[in-house]
Parts: sequence; C-alpha cells; structure tokens
Amino acid sequence: MTAAPVIAADGVAKRFAGTQALDGVSFAMTAGEVHALIGENGAGKSTLIKLLGGVYGPDAGEIRVAGRNARFHDPAEALAAGVVVIPQEIRVVPALSVAENVLLGQIPTRRALGVLPAVDRRAMRARALTLLARLNLDLDPDTRVETLGHAERQLVMIARALAHAAKALILDEPTASLEAREVARLFEVVRGLKAEGVGIVFVSHRLDEVIAIADRCTVLRDGRVVAVLDRAALEVERLIQLMTGRDLAERRHPHDRVPGSALLEFAHPATDPALERPALREREVLGLAGLLGSGTTDLLRRLFGASGPGGDIVLRGGHIALASPKDAIECGIGFVPGERAEALVPALTVRENIVLPNLDRLAGRWRLDARRVDGLVKKLMDELDIRPRDPGRPLRELSGGNQQKVVFARWIAGEAAVLLLDEPTHGVDIGAKAHIHRLMREFAARGGAVLVSSAEVEEIMAISDSVMAMRQGRLVARMERGGDYSEGALRKALGG
Amino acid sequence: MKAQAARPGLRAPSLNWLLGQMPLVALVVLCAVAALLSGRFLSGANINNILMQGAVVTVIAIGMTYVIIAGGFDLSVGSTAALAGCIACLVMLEAGIVLGVAAGIAVGAAVGLVNGLIVTRLDVNPFIATLATMVLLRGVTMLVTDGQPVSGEEGLPKAFNDFAIERLFGVPYLVLLPILVFAVFHWLLHHTAYGIRLFATGGNRDAAFLAGIAVNRIKISAYVLCGALAGIAGVMLASRLQSGQPTAGILYELTAIAAVVLGGASLYGGEGKLYKSVIGVFIIVVLSNALNLANVHSYWQQVAIGIVLVAAAAADRLRRR
Repeated sequence: MTAAPVIAADGVAKRFAGTQALDGVSFAMTAGEVHALIGENGAGKSTLIKLLGGVYGPDAGEIRVAGRNARFHDPAEALAAGVVVIPQEIRVVPALSVAENVLLGQIPTRRALGVLPAVDRRAMRARALTLLARLNLDLDPDTRVETLGHAERQLVMIARALAHAAKALILDEPTASLEAREVARLFEVVRGLKAEGVGIVFVSHRLDEVIAIADRCTVLRDGRVVAVLDRAALEVERLIQLMTGRDLAERRHPHDRVPGSALLEFAHPATDPALERPALREREVLGLAGLLGSGTTDLLRRLFGASGPGGDIVLRGGHIALASPKDAIECGIGFVPGERAEALVPALTVRENIVLPNLDRLAGRWRLDARRVDGLVKKLMDELDIRPRDPGRPLRELSGGNQQKVVFARWIAGEAAVLLLDEPTHGVDIGAKAHIHRLMREFAARGGAVLVSSAEVEEIMAISDSVMAMRQGRLVARMERGGDYSEGALRKALGG
Repeated sequence: MKAQAARPGLRAPSLNWLLGQMPLVALVVLCAVAALLSGRFLSGANINNILMQGAVVTVIAIGMTYVIIAGGFDLSVGSTAALAGCIACLVMLEAGIVLGVAAGIAVGAAVGLVNGLIVTRLDVNPFIATLATMVLLRGVTMLVTDGQPVSGEEGLPKAFNDFAIERLFGVPYLVLLPILVFAVFHWLLHHTAYGIRLFATGGNRDAAFLAGIAVNRIKISAYVLCGALAGIAGVMLASRLQSGQPTAGILYELTAIAAVVLGGASLYGGEGKLYKSVIGVFIIVVLSNALNLANVHSYWQQVAIGIVLVAAAAADRLRRR
C-alpha cells in the first residue's frame, strides 16, 4: 500500500481553555481500511474527530486528505473533500422522507413548465434507491424518517454520506444504542463500504466490537497516541491496559457478601411461572440482564413508580402502592436512570442536586435546614470524593464521572434501602465503569439492595450476586452464584 | 448565599460572575450618564417619578420571573391586571375596599390557575395558551365594564385613591408595596425548598420528576403566583388611575418579559435571579425617563429599548458560550 492515506493527521495539537486536548497526535487511514479509534473519556477522541471533520482547525500540525494539506474552515469543506462524520446523536429531519434526508443539500431540481424551479421527485427517488441499494437497505425512499428507529436513521445518515461520495467515513460510537442484531447489520454495511474502498474510522467503547471489525486500531490516552496496533495484536486485556495505563487484571472482585432477608419482592406481570416470586435481598446486587428493548427499563421505572402503577410490590413484608416517584422515594427506593441528563439539573448546584429528592426530609414546613444540609452534603462529598469539593458549584461544571457520583450521593443522603440502576455503565469508559461498580458494591455492603440492569452479559455476570434474565418483556430465568451461573447459560436465556 | 463569600479560601470573582452582574453595571452607568446629561435626573421629584413608574411593572415582573424559571411563559399578565383592577373597583363600590382588593387578587390567581391547567393538563404551549387568555381576558374586561372606566357616580373610596398618593416616612405606599412583595418572593424563591423545586422543574423536568417532585403542581403554582401578582399590579394601577380602566396594562406583559430577559433569566427555564429582574425593570424605566429628560421623542425611546433588548440577549448568548 504505497498510496497516500485517505485521511491523516500529522502531529496535530489542540488546546482548550487550560487543557491540552491533543498533543502531537498522528493518525493515518488508508482506503478500504476499518481503523478503530479508542481511548477513555477525555483521551481526545472527540477532538481528533472534530479536527478530521473540519469542525475546527489544529493549533499545530496538519490534516491531510489524499496526501494534500487540507485546511478545512468548516464541516461543509470537509464534506466536499469526502470526509463525513456521523455523530452519535443522529441528526436527521424526522418530518422529511428517507429520500429527502439522504439527498439533503443536493436535492435534484427541474424546471416545471420550463420556468418554475421545482424538486425533481422522480430523479430524487431513483438516486436515493441506488444509494440505499449500495447499503443493501430495503427501505422505501418515500417513508417519513420519523417512523424509523434509531438504527435505520443511522443507516440513512450513512446513505447520505455516500451521496456526498465519502472517501473517509467517521463513525462516532455508532453501536452505543444498537441491539445485537442491528450491530450485525451495521457491520455488514461497514464491510460492504470497505470493499468499495471507503476508509472507515470506527470509534467505540466496546472493545469486543473493535476486535471484530477493525483492521487497525489507534489508542489514545491523555491527548497522545500510545499505540497503533494491527488486527493480529488486538486483544481486550491489552487494549484496556493501553487505554488506562494500568493493569486491570485485579478488577475481579470477590463476592463475599452474604445476602440477608428479602427486602423487595415484586410480582412482574410476565414472570415465567416456573420462577418463584422475584425478590431482592439485603446486601445483594441483583443483575437484570436483557438486550435493548427487552423491558428492563420499563420494569425498573415501574418499581420506582415512574411509569404508572407499579403492580404488586412488597417491601419488608408490607404491600406498597407506588403512584409516583415521590411514593417510591418515601419508601426508601432510589433510581439511577440510564442517562445522566435524566437525573440531574445542570443549572442547580451540587448541593441542590444532592438534596433534590430529599427536600421533604430536610426541609421544615418551608425553610431548608441549612446547617443540616451543609453537614450532610459535605460528608457525602468527602465520602464519594466528589471534586471539586465545592457544594455551591453549578453541577454542569463537574466532569461526567463526578456528576455520576452526585446521583449516588443523593440516594445515600436519602438513606435509600433499595437502589435501582438502569444501564448505569452504558456508554461510559472503562475507568468510570469500574468506579460505578465500586459505588454499587459499597451501597450493598452498607446493607442496601441493588437491582441493576445491563445488556452486557459479561459485565452483569461479574458484578452481580445473582442474575435475572429478561426477554421480550418477560422474566425468563434466575441464576444464583453456586448454581448454574455461567455466561453461556445466560446468553441462552436471553436468546442471543 | 451571602455567607459563601465569607468562606475561607475566598475565590476571586470569576469572569462569569462579573458578566452576570452586567445588568447592574448597565443600570449604574445609565443612571450616571443620565445624571450628567440632565441636572433634573437626580431631583427628588424625578426619582419619585421613576420609582412610581417602575412599581407596577416590578410586581408583574416578579411573577413573570417565577413562571419563566419554571420553564413557562405568560403573555396574559397585562390583561389580567386590567380585569383584576376593574373587578376590584366594581366590588369595592358595592362591598368596600377590603373585599374589593381581595376580589382583584383572587381574580388574578384564578386566571393563573386556568393558565397553569391549560399548560399542564392540556399540554398546550405556554406561548399559545397565554396568548389566547390574553386576548380572551381583554374581551371579558370590556364585557364586564362595557368598555367604560369603573369609578362609580361619586368616585372610588377616598382611602383607596389616597393609597397611590400617601407616603410613609416620605416613601409612597405604591413604592413600599413592591419592596414588600419582593422581600417575600425573594425569600420564597431563593431560600426555601419550594424555590429549589421550581428551579429543578424548569431546569430539567424529567430529572425533577424522577426526584419525586410533582412537576405539574409546581408549574401551576408558578402561574397562580404570577396571576395573583398581576392582580395586585392591577389594583395598584386602579388606585393610581382612581378608576378601573379596561384598557389598562396594555403591553405590560412585554415590558415585564423584557425586564426578566434583561435580568439574565433563561427563557428555557431553570435559571434566574429575582433581584436581577427588578434591575431589568429599572433599566427600561430609567432609559425612557432619561430620554424623556433629554427631550427625545417617545418613538425613539421605543427604538432605543428594542436595541437594548437585542444587545442584552446577544450578550447573554455570549456569556453562555
């Protein structure tokens, strides 16, 4: 391969107010290559993508497209040069059709009655069909995009990239919100594009996927390249070690907690009759395994009173009725939603975010007990090491990891006995993941009960004391350590 | 929150904090320039004039700040003030001052309740919902009053009319009342659990819900308070005009919204400081007053206020970047 790389960064540096996001990073991708880009949050992946995609220019070094120095002033120029970035949040226009979305910016026109400019619908449809066919996509170009799911919208974006004659396609966390089946389809598309000679940058936190699809892998850490590995050298343990700079072999934690008596029992409407009534015990981490869309989120929200009546729930032997999260909170149940944005109020301070669900407890009729609040908040910030140690700081100024700690702090502050977590490690990097696992273990060690959902079989097996499997809205299996507790059995139960 | 400044390890005020004080700086500069340009600006009569002009809008802007922080919007306050003022006068002529004033405030609160219910239960965009009630209430006011000012055959009770004229320790009652209202609503917004719930509801509705907050009830409460304050403003206006005027309060909603925006509250909800909204009110009032003193035509005053609004909004976007 003597041809110049389709796209390359040569010693690029980028600095933002006080932090060196990238420091002399070089990166090169050849035509027809799938090049994975990995690193922990803050390692500089997004900055590099933005430099490649022309969102901003480098402070030093240069970006080269097909061997020529490319000074992009904005993403439109990058697009014109065949560099297309597909961001994690899919930006399509829901009210327009698939064809209109695919050809947005280059809608074919004709002259109606020889004078009036008008959209050439026939040409548009034909053009869209050709592009969709290249992706092996069986979609009607006239379908409105709002009727499509996330995975299909993503493919519409890729079709749009083809419409721009993409030579370098940059996929930012493309699989973060996809089900296994959809990931497989995306990979087919990626392989097809690769065969056509398109270079693909694949950014992901999921290392098994990186290993499955990548020809090469560039690992970033703290704004520098720490390794560029060939396909043969890709291996999970090694990648983790390169990304974190630490050996994570010691991450297996002993499961030495002895679960106590049943704390929370719930009759899920669709429980396999062969299973006994699902129960969550003191000092237990109960895993709720289920693929995306299997109903785990709905079950957790129901147990928190956040999506209608929760069904028959028994807490410490007594029946409780949960009409709203307020009721659940009063019963000592806490909930950590999958998206941090669903839990926190960015404009409020750390202190206010911590006390938010506990206002009834901490406030008198009207006035907040300021001294009690300050004492409690200080204690929790110390205990969970929330940085900076400034309770008056607006939450949005904290890093993602510290924000996550604030969510935990509020339930510890509320002396919750039961913690429900919905995909708490979805889309977070390895370091943050380990931290969340630790917070969960500590919560259980205090005598609390944890019910945590995850779509990652390996993860859920590692962190739980016992696991329930959910499939198509039904609880289908329960596995205890000491019994048939294996990944194989769980995967089978999930139907994966 | 004052206590924080006295903490050990005092931080230098951040650039953001300084930018956040822009409304105050603007007001001070505006006053200084006005004082330099016109000797009359700092005269007792003129200052009294400014305070009287700002009084009614201040009360409305306080309610507007609540609604905007809760993530809402209220265009109906001007019409509400007119209706409340007229009803207050009608009741007053029959049943005396106390019941009249109470009726005016109750009408305002009831309008707020209706606005709140339309916005939450019917899930109508607040802009549209309150645009509708704004037009509707103006019509109701005209129907109730037949389009004529309400002052009875022998005028309103003297004590009521005197409220706008009399002073306590040299300060007009009409100015003391907004100060009292501000004190109560500042405490409620910035020092109580209710205040945190209000900010949380506007700042992130989903998060507030998952934190056990009855978000719809909080939103409705903000509209009710805003309506009740518009009612108080309407009664103040009636006292000043010595009659219930069905055409009173026109464009007050826009002045109040402009003041809240000048004060830096976010129209997306969840952010704002009550005192800054009051500063916003006085930026507008002082600006027109100064231009008046400089004999600038009132048409140009409107142009000036428009320019100031655009500048303030643009500066705010810059600050948030």
